[in-house]
Amino acid sequence: MNEKIGLKQIAGTLSRLFLGGIFVYAGYLKAVSPAEEFAYAIEGYRIVPQWLALWTALALPWLELYLGLLLAAGLFTRFCAASLGLMLVGFEALLAQAWLRHLPVLSCGCFGANSSNSIGMEFSLNIALLLSAFISFRFGEAYSLDSAVDSGTAAQPGRDG
Amino acid sequence: MLRPITLCRRTARKILIAGLLIFASTLITLTARQLNLGPDRPVPAFRSFGPKTASIQIYEYTDFACPACKAAYFQLEDMLKLYDGRILVNFKHYPLMSIHKWSLDAAAYSDCAGEQGKFKEYAALLFESQASWGRAEKKPPEFTVYAGKLKLDLPALETCVNKDETVKRIKLEMAEGDLKNVDATPTFFINGKRAVGAGQLLDAAKHFDNLLKTGGK
Repeated sequence: MNEKIGLKQIAGTLSRLFLGGIFVYAGYLKAVSPAEEFAYAIEGYRIVPQWLALWTALALPWLELYLGLLLAAGLFTRFCAASLGLMLVGFEALLAQAWLRHLPVLSCGCFGANSSNSIGMEFSLNIALLLSAFISFRFGEAYSLDSAVDSGTAAQPGRDG
Repeated sequence: MLRPITLCRRTARKILIAGLLIFASTLITLTARQLNLGPDRPVPAFRSFGPKTASIQIYEYTDFACPACKAAYFQLEDMLKLYDGRILVNFKHYPLMSIHKWSLDAAAYSDCAGEQGKFKEYAALLFESQASWGRAEKKPPEFTVYAGKLKLDLPALETCVNKDETVKRIKLEMAEGDLKNVDATPTFFINGKRAVGAGQLLDAAKHFDNLLKTGGK
C-alpha cells in the first residue's frame, strides 16, 4: 500500500502540474480574449478554411483549459496526458508545415495574440511539453485525485514506476 | 481484482469531481471575461501617446464618423497636453459600420497614415470634417485629399489600405470591443474602469490628480 516515493513519482507529479498549468494558462488567456484573435492566428497556418478556424478558436481554448485543469488535479490522468500529448503532436505538425512552407506566421496563437516566439522556439518548447506529457502519462498518478479516489482515502503514491 | 460495481462507483465519483472542476473553471473564466480581466491587446505604437509606465492609462474605442468621438478626441488632446508625460492614451478602432458606412475605411486610412508617421494629423482631419465624408454615398474623396495634404505616399497608402492585415487589425479591435461589451462610442477604459461618452470622460478626469498622487490606484 505505502509504496516508496521514488524520483519517477516526483517527476511525474511535477510534470503533471507543469503541463496542466501551462495548458490552463494558455486556455484561459485565449478564452478571455476574442475568439477572432485566435482564429486569425489559426488562419495564418493556411490549413483550415476561415469558418473552421473560427469554430476551432471557439472550442480549443476551453478544451485546453479543461484538460489542463484535470491533468493538474490528477483526474483521469492518463487520458488527459495522452490527449494533451496528441494535441501537442498536432501543434508540432502545424508549426512544421508552416516552417516548411515558409508561411509568415507572426503569432503562433499559443498564448493568445499578445506574445509569440519564433516558430523554431515554439517547436522546441512543444518538444519539452511533449516530454512532460509522456512523464505525466507514465508516472503522473502519484498524489493525484485519481489515486485518492481509487484508494478511498488520502492521496497515495501511484502504482507506476 | 476489483468488482465491476466498485469500478463503476469510482469512475462515477471521478466524473462528478471532474464536472465540478469544469463547472467552476467555466464560471471563473466567464466572470473574468465579464469583468474585462483579459489581457489588453496592445495598439500599434502610432496610436499610443504617452509613456507606457504612466499611472493613468486610457484605452478609447472610437469611430471617426461619430460626433461624440470628435469631441472626445479633442478633449483627450487637451488632457495629453495638461498631463504631459503622466498619462497614456491608446486609441482603438470601433467603427459602427451599421450607421457609419465609411468608418471602417476611415479607420484603415488613418492606420496607414499612421504607418507613415501621420496618424494624429490624419485623425484630426477626419474628425474635423466628419460631417462631409461621414454621410457620403460613394467613397469620399477626402481620404486621398487628406493624404495629399499631409504629403503622404499615396500609392503606399492605398496598398496598405487594401492589405488584409490592415482590415484584420481593425476587426480584431472591434471583436475585442464586443467582448468588453462596448456598444457605443466613444467608450473609454481608464485604468480598467469604463466611461462612456465625453461627459463621463470629463467626470473621470476630475479624479486624475488623485490617481496621479496614488500611482493610479
